[in-house]
Amino acid sequence: MDERYAYYPGCLASLSQKELDSSTRAITKRLDVELVDMPSVTCCGAGDIHEAKPDYYLHLSARILGQAERSGCKTLLTICNVCTLNLRQANQRLTEDPAELARVNDNLKSAGIAGYDGGIDVRHLLWEVSSGDGFERFKQIAVRSLEGLKVAPFYGCQILRPAKLLGFEDPDRPSSLERLIEACGAEAIDYPAKVKCCGFPIVLAREDVALGELVQPLREATEAGADVMVTPCPLCHLSLDAWQAKAADVAGMEFKLPVLHLAQLLGAAAGVEESQLRFRRHIVRLSDDVKEKLRLPSVVSAD
Amino acid sequence: MAIENAHLTTLQGAYDVELMEVTLRVRRYAGEGSRPETRSYTVEVATTATLLDALDVVKDKLDGTLAYRKSCRMAVCGSCGMRMDGGAVLACKTAMKPFVDAGHVVTVSPMGNLPVIKDLVVDMAPFWQKVHAVKPFLDTGGVDDPETEWRVTPRQSALIAKESLCIMCGCCVSECNSMDSDPDFLGPAALAKAYRFVGDVRDGDARERLKELSGAHGIWDCTRCYFCNQRCPKGVDPRDAIAKLGGEAFREGIARDEGAKHAKVFVQSTYKGGYLRETELVPKTIGPIAAIQQLPFAFQLARAGKVPNPLAPHKAKDNAEVKRLWKLLEAQAPKHRERATRAPEGA
Repeated sequence: MDERYAYYPGCLASLSQKELDSSTRAITKRLDVELVDMPSVTCCGAGDIHEAKPDYYLHLSARILGQAERSGCKTLLTICNVCTLNLRQANQRLTEDPAELARVNDNLKSAGIAGYDGGIDVRHLLWEVSSGDGFERFKQIAVRSLEGLKVAPFYGCQILRPAKLLGFEDPDRPSSLERLIEACGAEAIDYPAKVKCCGFPIVLAREDVALGELVQPLREATEAGADVMVTPCPLCHLSLDAWQAKAADVAGMEFKLPVLHLAQLLGAAAGVEESQLRFRRHIVRLSDDVKEKLRLPSVVSAD
Repeated sequence: MAIENAHLTTLQGAYDVELMEVTLRVRRYAGEGSRPETRSYTVEVATTATLLDALDVVKDKLDGTLAYRKSCRMAVCGSCGMRMDGGAVLACKTAMKPFVDAGHVVTVSPMGNLPVIKDLVVDMAPFWQKVHAVKPFLDTGGVDDPETEWRVTPRQSALIAKESLCIMCGCCVSECNSMDSDPDFLGPAALAKAYRFVGDVRDGDARERLKELSGAHGIWDCTRCYFCNQRCPKGVDPRDAIAKLGGEAFREGIARDEGAKHAKVFVQSTYKGGYLRETELVPKTIGPIAAIQQLPFAFQLARAGKVPNPLAPHKAKDNAEVKRLWKLLEAQAPKHRERATRAPEGA
């Protein structure tokens, strides 16, 4: 784990998922890691822009990577699967092809934008905290054991596949979330759909197809007895949380399964204040039972 | 050690072959009306054996009723697609030694998203039906048979190099999450094949192709789960091909589909403010009337603070930089699809 990261929250954590941003800032502070803000970054050009205007996406990403470089950090830290894949994909194209990097830099220069030298690595918070000395550090600060809490890990797609661009762990048998859940003292629930898609990218354009995907992890995790689900991706979170009631209608069963951002689960285990974890910003609220199992300070102090 | 199973190597007697013991758990299914069951088989194979070699020994020595497809044994014919531990592979391209060394017993089952006929054999008819639906042949667009050949540069040929590698094995389709939810989705193999022709500079029918592909069960059904890229044994990267189809449709102005409109909001958002404008996404994707029907849902989100203020959207600093970049790139972007030229008469 680095001492300093160029921090890239992306669109969702800056907008509808602000609780992810505040939880991330809180947990990284406890890990004694400095997050350097890049004030004039834009959307990374994820998914839709990548598809509709591929060259624009590449330049938007290069502009962000260039700002990360000038922050003096060697790694850009992401907290979103989609940002992770898209920035890594752009980074690979730019660093493996000097002619392409030169072309993009020429364009950036013409638009009055400083260029990118190709020296940044893009890594997700999950990878940094679940391996190496980041994991050791986390175990040190995970002082509140979440014993008794059953957590369903949900990876989502674009942190696992394609492995040739991500490559942190086996995309079919990942274990990083389980490792962290266990380090929190909680129990990791196993279920097949944990590596499948939440349906988010098409939930507006093809809601029925998306809900058909979304019901799978919700049903399997519920049937396996999960108290909560945890995900490293704010898009998965939005789908699993905000669209959960619609998925329940499709499935013909109740879920009422609270979905946590990874940083929130880590934060609860590290005793971060509820005011920073901001569970109230979720559609599916925490039941009293789950609050108790999460050892939230408000509940602890009421004991 | 001399080898007794002739099929283990065609070089019998020429080399000593090291053997290893491998156990396979195989999903057996005798057809309609029977119940699938899993059986274990342990056989001795060469240490260089693939999953297909191991299945061949099982069939020869232990159970001749085991059904699976095979032909070329060299990852070219695309016959032996099947699931190993839940993920589609070509049996002939998957070495068994790492699993034996790790003490892991693999489970072999038929590919997903296709009906099972018997054991590991799936019915490929729905697969071919979708491939045929994308007109997998060159259409010069009303031009008569050429008098002279097309001239295609190496750069133009490279535009569809990856998509041309497809061997139609179905591995990409097996775990396609959208097809699991919508069985009518054209899917990664057919769409990669479609791009192989849309991107072919000799093809004159791209616009019509893109219009058809932009409808229901087409390009915008893809949920970007990337299972297809992960599974493809030939490096076709079907998801990337689907993205290229989306880009081509966008350039052709074929944006009547909700998926394309969704993409358009993203592009406009970064131009206007640098960030995605979530509040504009719903009405501009699904239209104002459908958006009004979604209002109760929106209020629920708003109560949790999930709807950013549409009147004061989040703006990135220095967004003028991005506007200049956009204008520059738009001026550079080719306005039309590239076409091949004809060699002059007598050339």
